This record gives sequence, C-alpha cells and structure tokens, in this order.
Amino acid sequence: MKLKRYLALTRAGIIESLQYRIAMIVMVIGNLLYLTLVYFLWKSIYASSGTDIVNGMTFTDTLIYLVLATALFHFMEMYTVWEIGRNIQTGKIVLDLIKPMEYRRYLFWSYSGSFAVQFFTTFLPTFIIVAVLTHGAVPIGINLVWFVISVAIAVTINYSIDFIVGTICLYTESIWGINIMKQVIVLLLSGATIPLAFFPEELHRIVECLPFQSIYNAPLTILLKADPAPAEVLPVIGVQLAWAVVMTAAGCLFWKCSLRQITVNGG
Amino acid sequence: MENIIQIRNITKEFRVPDRRDGLMGSIRDLFSRSYHTLRAVDDISMDIAQGEIIGYLGPNGAGKSTTIKMMTGVLEPTSGEILVNGCAPYRNRTRNAQNIGVVFGQRSQLWWSLPLIESFRLLRDIYMIPDAQYNEMLELYSSLVDIGPLLHKPVRQMSLGQRTLSDILAAFLHDPKIVFLDEPTIGLDVSMKSKIRTLIYELNRKKNTTVILTTHDMGDVDALCERIVIIDHGKMLYDNDIEHLKKYFGAYRTLKLRVKGCLSEQAESIAAELPGCPVTSDDNWISVLVNEDKQKVVSVLSQLQTSYDIRDMQLEEISSEEVIKRIYEGGVS
Repeated sequence: MKLKRYLALTRAGIIESLQYRIAMIVMVIGNLLYLTLVYFLWKSIYASSGTDIVNGMTFTDTLIYLVLATALFHFMEMYTVWEIGRNIQTGKIVLDLIKPMEYRRYLFWSYSGSFAVQFFTTFLPTFIIVAVLTHGAVPIGINLVWFVISVAIAVTINYSIDFIVGTICLYTESIWGINIMKQVIVLLLSGATIPLAFFPEELHRIVECLPFQSIYNAPLTILLKADPAPAEVLPVIGVQLAWAVVMTAAGCLFWKCSLRQITVNGG
Repeated sequence: MENIIQIRNITKEFRVPDRRDGLMGSIRDLFSRSYHTLRAVDDISMDIAQGEIIGYLGPNGAGKSTTIKMMTGVLEPTSGEILVNGCAPYRNRTRNAQNIGVVFGQRSQLWWSLPLIESFRLLRDIYMIPDAQYNEMLELYSSLVDIGPLLHKPVRQMSLGQRTLSDILAAFLHDPKIVFLDEPTIGLDVSMKSKIRTLIYELNRKKNTTVILTTHDMGDVDALCERIVIIDHGKMLYDNDIEHLKKYFGAYRTLKLRVKGCLSEQAESIAAELPGCPVTSDDNWISVLVNEDKQKVVSVLSQLQTSYDIRDMQLEEISSEEVIKRIYEGGVS
C-alpha cells in the first residue's frame, strides 16, 4: 500500500508540530500582529485616496483579500528551501537520499503534517474571524468547494517553485540570499502582499503570464466570488493546472540533472 | 557463500576548485577558477559475502566514506562497477535502499522530536515492513537490549549512547541485507561501546546481515571483525583477516620491564645495547619491541639480565592498534 507510507509521514508531521506549543502560540500571535498592521496600512491608503473604491476594490474587499492571503501564506509556507539547504550543508541529505522513496515526495509528505496543523491554527481561525467581522462579505457557498480545489493546486505549484529554488542550493551551497529573493518575488508577483488589481497595467499583464499568480491570486479570486458559474471558475483552475504540471515537470527534471551533478562531482 | 557486494576496479574522481588565498584571491576566484582532479578512490576491488562483518579502516580522508556512498548509491563511480545484491546502486537507488541500512555515528536518521516508537512506526511504513516481521524484530530487540525505557522517549532527550543504539536498531529494522555502520562508537563511554558491539554481533548472527563497519577504534575491530580492509589515499592496502596482518608484520612482541634506577636513563642505555629494537619508556615501564624473526625475546631478556636489576616483566603481543598505526604511518612495503 503506497499511500500508507505517505500518510504515515503526514501523521508524524502532525505529531511533531504539536510538540512545540510555544512555537504555535507565537505563530498565532505573529499572524494577528501582521493582520493589524495590514488593517491600518490600507485604512490610511483608502483615507488618503479620497474615494471608497480604489482600482475596483472597496476597503472591505481589499482587507478580506489581504487577510486571507496572509492566512494562506502561513498555511502554504513550507520552508522547503531552508530544509533542503540545511540538509545539503550538514550532509543529512545523504540519509534522506537512501530512503526507498523519491526525495521530492519524501520531503513534501514530511511537511504535509505541518500543513494540516497550520490549516487549523492559522487559516481556519482567520477565515472565521473575517467572515464574522465583515458580516457575510465573504460569500459562503459552492465557491468554497472551488476554493479548496484551487488551493490544492496552488500548494503543488508553490512546492514546485520551492523545490526548484532548493535545488539551486545544491550548486550555491548557501541558502539565505536565495531564499529571501524567492520569497520577495513570489509574495509580490503572486498578489499576496498587494492585490493584483493595484498593479500598473503593463506589470499586471506580465504577471498574468507567470505561474506566481496561480498561487495566491487565483484561489482568493475564486473565494471572493459569490456563487460563481463553472464557466467563470474553470478557466482559472485550468491555468492553475497547466502551471502545476509545467512546474512539477520542471522541478523533477532539474532535480534529476542536479543530482547527477552531485553524484558525479561529489557531495 | 554468495557475494552480496561485488566491487570491480572502482575509481572516483572529484573536480575540486583551486582557491586562492586572501581577500584579493577570493575576489579573483569570483571571476576565474581553475580546477584540479582529486582521486578519492583509486582502483578498488573486493567481494563481500552475505553475513560477513568487515572492518573498513583507513586514516581520515582515506576515501572510506566515498566508497560507502558509492555502495549506497548516493555517488556514482567515475569508472568501474559495483553490484549490490545484483544491481548497480546508483542506477536503482530507491530499490537498493530497501536492501541497505545505514548508521552515521555523527548524525541521526530518527525523527528528532518524536518518541523512538514513532520513528520505528514511520520506518515500518516507509520500508513497507509487514506487521509480522516488524513485531518479530521488536521482540528480538527487546531480547537483546533493554529497549523499554527508550521507546517512549523523544530522541532529542536521549544521551548520545542511547541515540546511537536507537539508530542502529532503526537501521536493522527492515531486515536489510547489508548495514553500513560509519563510526558507530564515536564519542561513547566504555560500557556503551561494549553494549553496542554486542548488539551488532548478535544482530549479525541472528539475521545473517552483512555489516560494513568503519571505525577508528581498534576495540570495535577486535571485537567484531574477522576480515579487515585497509585503504589509504584511495588505494587498497590490505584485505584479509586480522591474524594475517600481524604475521605479515613479522612476529613482533613487546617486552615490558621494570628495572632498578631511573627508568628513562636506563631506557637510553638499553636502547644503546639493543640497536635492533625500538625502546620507549613511560612512568611505569620500559617497553622493548622485539622482532622474534631476528632475535628471541628470551635471548634479549638474558642479555639484559646480566647488566640490569630486573624487578618485574611482562610480555605483550603487538596490538592490532599498533599494526594499523604502522600501516597508516609507513604503508606496507
């Protein structure tokens, strides 16, 4: 039973993250602090603009979007790059490579447990708070189902990007700079820090052609649509799926070549 | 007996950048780099039978780890061929993984914050060990070591000895055909070392597992290995049992004496009297290394008896440690 070995890793990940109570509390508090900051920042942006609607989004729209983007970020962030980098530096990667599992999958499933925990500690509470505070500004209906599907694909794309960046560490043997660069690029171009509607026209068009918007912008747009028709949603999910396939394939291929590189040149 | 590992003339070369010194050197390195080729493993061949315990020895940087990494499939040999259980490890890494277990004395494969039993359960699922076999293994473990108190202890709270013990158990859990132990007794106290040696010995005997043991502790070798392989500078120096090694080095014995008077002064004069034998002294003993092919210990003793007042004496076989040290320092010629 192949699935069992993956679920075993998930289970261990859940138990492992539950061991660290303080870390979990700190994460919840940090999340709340960031949300407060976002609230006041955008409140003043809207106040100084003089209108209620900026770039087609009301203050409530923007706030819901950003708050949920943050929640989604906490949920999806896997620190894969750190993990791969650290494993390479300390040489622990050798131990992972001699597991009877593909490294890419092994790492993903090792992290899936903390996914599950973070979903319940950050995403769900934030979602409920937002839904209650905005008195039903978040539509609840068929969009939630589409949202879950969309997030699942987003997780795949996000992991693939992380894995590709992590693989670069095989060559550079340093992590910090690369990881920071990746984080800034992904968060900005995916619409996690600023909604894509606020981007200048040309940049918006470029971003539409990149994989990053499929990570945050796509699921959040779906979530905030009340009762969307399949014709509205399917193209978005189609694009996501295409990126998921492309990025996964690219990640696998890059890893395969790179691993050959280490096995040929030393590790 | 069937050979579980066959190694034919493997060589491994690395391309190493030549680094320049100093700040200017580092800046120049950014723009142009030259490389040289380092041959870490040089034309090694051996056959290892199922169930053997092999001591794989060599000074630091001799190429031991590189060879082991090639056998586990992490590295690909530059030339030559390795077959582990009939297939090339670097081409079938995940399949090969099912047949091998590895312990690196310096690192742990266990889940740091989980109790040991959870790591075992995970390994059971990862290696897809059938329940019956898993339970049988746990029973065997509890008959060999006092595993009860360890099972529910998080790995991060374990002492180094407990952790190493647990790592060894984890490596044998899926009943692999071969287990690689890389310095398993490093940093452990005497009683833990002996516990671990007994455990390795018992597991090898009960499961007929081939064990390849790298170590710098000759106690491990004396306790476990019938056969030793020594490499240095990537070249194989020796491959045979440990008894042969001693003979190979001549019939050396150490004669230890306590004589009247200041030991270090007396040692000097004994050295002058016996030009063929190296003499050393410490606080308690004067040690004379005698090659019995050239001169009998008894004749040395009677010669010394005439001019010195001998209070006490001991006769020692040359230790494997001494033999290995001589090989590392002088090479076999």
